[in-house]
Amino acid sequence: MKKTLLLSSVGSALTGLLLLGQVATAGDLKVGIMVPTTGSEATYGKDMENAINLAAAEINKAGGVLGMNIVTMTGDAACDPQQATAAASKLVSAEVTAVVGGYCSGATMPTMKIYGDANIPMVIPAANSTKLIDINQGNAFQINSTGFDQVKTAVGLFKAKGINKLAIIHQGDGYSEDLAKLTRESWTGMGKEVVAYEVVNKGEQDQSALVTRIKSKAPDAVFWTAYYADGSMVIKQLRQGGYRNLIAVGDGSNSPKLLEIAGKAAEGVYCFSNPTVEYLPAAKDFHKNYKATYKQDPDAYAALSYDGMKLMVDAITRAGSTDKKAIIKALAETKDFTGIAGPITFTDKNTLARSNFVILVAEGGKWVLNK
Amino acid sequence: MSIQDILLQQLANGLILGSFYALVALGYTMVYGIIKLLNFAHGDLYMLGSFVGFVILSILSPYIGNSWAGILCSMVLSMIAVGLFGVLIQRIAYVPMLSAPRLSILITALAVSMVLYNGVMAFTDGQYLAFKTDLGFEGLEFGNVFITYTQMILVGASIILMIVLYLFVHKTLYGKAMRAIAIDQDACRLMGINVNKIIALTFFIGTSLAAAAGIMAGTYYGSIHFFMGFVIGLKAFTAAVIGGIGSIPGAMLGGLLLGLLESFGTQIPFIGTEWKDVFSFGILILLLVFKPTGILGKTEIERM
Repeated sequence: MKKTLLLSSVGSALTGLLLLGQVATAGDLKVGIMVPTTGSEATYGKDMENAINLAAAEINKAGGVLGMNIVTMTGDAACDPQQATAAASKLVSAEVTAVVGGYCSGATMPTMKIYGDANIPMVIPAANSTKLIDINQGNAFQINSTGFDQVKTAVGLFKAKGINKLAIIHQGDGYSEDLAKLTRESWTGMGKEVVAYEVVNKGEQDQSALVTRIKSKAPDAVFWTAYYADGSMVIKQLRQGGYRNLIAVGDGSNSPKLLEIAGKAAEGVYCFSNPTVEYLPAAKDFHKNYKATYKQDPDAYAALSYDGMKLMVDAITRAGSTDKKAIIKALAETKDFTGIAGPITFTDKNTLARSNFVILVAEGGKWVLNK
Repeated sequence: MSIQDILLQQLANGLILGSFYALVALGYTMVYGIIKLLNFAHGDLYMLGSFVGFVILSILSPYIGNSWAGILCSMVLSMIAVGLFGVLIQRIAYVPMLSAPRLSILITALAVSMVLYNGVMAFTDGQYLAFKTDLGFEGLEFGNVFITYTQMILVGASIILMIVLYLFVHKTLYGKAMRAIAIDQDACRLMGINVNKIIALTFFIGTSLAAAAGIMAGTYYGSIHFFMGFVIGLKAFTAAVIGGIGSIPGAMLGGLLLGLLESFGTQIPFIGTEWKDVFSFGILILLLVFKPTGILGKTEIERM
């Protein structure tokens, strides 16, 4: 590989020589992985770790970065602020050049201060609380969309479908109420109408009164912002009650169980989802390699974690050195980096410039990518 | 939809919901009528009924399908199985407590409830299960009021069950014995009535009605989980109190009234569907304060 690089052109040959020189002197490039590998979120953490390591292995196989071999070190954040802090300090004292990771927002926040003080470039693939934006010291980059982005995607779909009158239903918990409120603000802000804004009690089976109430307002679309368990019953009863217009559900309802329970009623329902591997056409090879390496299917944040490592390496290559300031500058300047979960460009707040939520639609009892 | 249509649709909704409440309330009221026990495990027997029905339906469906034939078979089998289980609970948990203070047996009932739902939770990992049936959404439209065939059949089935129960209690010797025990157990023993057998029979009938309601709910709502009996248990208790606990026609009336109250309650301007439970339990409190005997109840209730 290095040999072809040398031969390809004079310019790259010179660079190649430089790279070879660095292999001898600088040795390995240490990259820290921050994910929960123990505790309740360990399955997601392991999945992210696997994806990041897979990306690193691919890069090493292709000649490494700036001629160096990537060596990853995992710090267990355990989805716990204290453990995460200890793990982050350990990675800093091990002199990692960069960090890829961050799953639980609560555990990621205190580590951002540690990495920020050490000025270590960090790519956060999963954690997406809007609070991360405020404490960012400029070294961290979020490649997962935030709650605001789901609203953008939702409103975009409703607009594209020519919806005027919208009904929103939530369950009064922090997550679903937040999504409902933001959607209502955004929708009324566009001069359109929210004809019904309803709350249902958790675990309530009979929704017929709600259905009649909603039907009487004749909305063009119903948006369910809460979870699948009750959502499936609401969908079923909306259809049973003769409601025929569009139904959309938020990412909390992104579950095959929703389709199983609601059955035929769920056909044609739209759902907003994080970019998971199964819905990404560009992730086919990744899916295959992941399965071959780890003997299991990649989970929710594998694609984003893989992109995180690839993006970091891309930034280091563009920076042309392992100088942390230069890498951070290169990360900030990222323009349309092609990840398997979609292109990456950052806002001035180091968050993703576009929503990476994908729109799914239920077809034949399965979620498939819309369009 | 005009306001008239909306009210008519809510009337239909209320009757459908109310017939579920009535079926479950019947078990409450029968058990209370005969041994003065508020069987707080009753809602969990409703839940158990739907799970047993789910298992039976999954076994039977390859042979007779997921439609009405399969649902009916699994309903009958589940009613028998869960009814017998109700008798077993009564023998193990309640019979030894019959001579103990009333509060002890009430606490026993709460314990039985916890054992049941935690047991089902352990078996199912706390997951929601999809109760799969082949029922469509076709129905009849009366003006703007839409009622599916499924809803009609389910309401019809609960009305039939209630009529059968009424005839059983009022036209058979067993029914007469039940009514007699409710009035005076000792006198019944002196008359040669096998009191324990009749109490067991009451448990069987009450529990199997809850199981029937559980399967109907599974069929209608499409999903079942271990905690589904909790809310309906409370609602059925409310329905039984509204009608007058201990009275069988009272439970039917109370169930329907509660269903209607909830449906129409959500139609009050400026009040959302989240206030539904406030109506039911507000009524419960008002009734317990001002008319604890309920609409059709006769005897004074000892408040707990």
